Amino acid sequence: MSAGVLIYCFDTDKIKYHLTTNFCIKQIKQHLSLPVTVVTNLATKDYIQGADSFEIIENKKGNKRFYKGEIIDWFNLERSNAYEYSPYDITILLDSDYFVYTDNLLQLLDSKYDFLLHNKVFDLTGRSTFEYKNKSLIDLVWATVTIFKKNSKTKKIFDLIKHIQNNYQYFCNLYRIDFKNYRNDYAFAIALHQLNIKDFIPIKMSMLPADANIMEIDSYNIKFRWLNSFGTLQKQDVHVLNKEIPFNV
Amino acid sequence: MDLSELKKESDLSFDIANAKKNALERAESRKLIVYNYSIFSADPETINLVNVLKQHFDTFIILDNNSNPCKIDNPDEFLNILIQRNQEALNEYHRLYETLKRKS
Repeated sequence: MSAGVLIYCFDTDKIKYHLTTNFCIKQIKQHLSLPVTVVTNLATKDYIQGADSFEIIENKKGNKRFYKGEIIDWFNLERSNAYEYSPYDITILLDSDYFVYTDNLLQLLDSKYDFLLHNKVFDLTGRSTFEYKNKSLIDLVWATVTIFKKNSKTKKIFDLIKHIQNNYQYFCNLYRIDFKNYRNDYAFAIALHQLNIKDFIPIKMSMLPADANIMEIDSYNIKFRWLNSFGTLQKQDVHVLNKEIPFNV
Repeated sequence: MDLSELKKESDLSFDIANAKKNALERAESRKLIVYNYSIFSADPETINLVNVLKQHFDTFIILDNNSNPCKIDNPDEFLNILIQRNQEALNEYHRLYETLKRKS
């Protein structure tokens, strides 16, 4: 059975996602030793380093999001096609800003579960930045790390996610989601709710919020600052939401 | 009273408390194990449950972290893995805790 990591990477005018992708790939090679496939477009491909294979597409555009006081492009409309894009029997679908510092994810490839993701997160700055209970009728799940096997069951999950994506405003109204721009986390949550799937990665995903500044980053640790507070992370997988990361420090 | 000194103390205290919380969360992540295709946490509850059940049965069923059943055919092996992972995670936490204690 083949196993590997699938990452999406599309540079935008504001954010050079290839920088986080390149670091993400480096960390995967160091800690997971798995092949990496990057789904990207022609404009971004030449900047990506370390990937084992590429899936070149013309990505859908149009979605936007709020980031640090600005409305910016958000090329997130291709994740529902991960089943088709992945060349692996078991895939770890990762956001390019999720950096692995452990081999914790590896063992989950051996589980009996066909489809796993996090439904709980942990704010590393000590606040509860990611509390979304009052933002919808449905509990949020996090599509940042999604582990799936290729079979008829997971094909149906992804087909349903596509259907939800195509009718997102309807589902937003149905579940009273207070986030009108398309968000994969909600599309995945709705699909799992509709299919009554309740199996998750039973640990919290560690998150560094967008207002936490990354002071230093290398293969072994991340130093961050939030207001007057400082922190260092080691041997801890982390989802970094601030996109201004000083990779060259 | 030097307020700036107090502020520094307060900030340091917050950083240390947060570092402890983060290290504890890291330990919780490290306790995760996959055994017989099921997902478990190498926590005290699981260790104690397995230890008690193995005194009564050669094989038994327990629930994994997603509340799905898993047959344990080799309780000794499973208990050994649980204990090892638990101690690996907590030794790492202890090491960091001692470092933080020196800072405070």
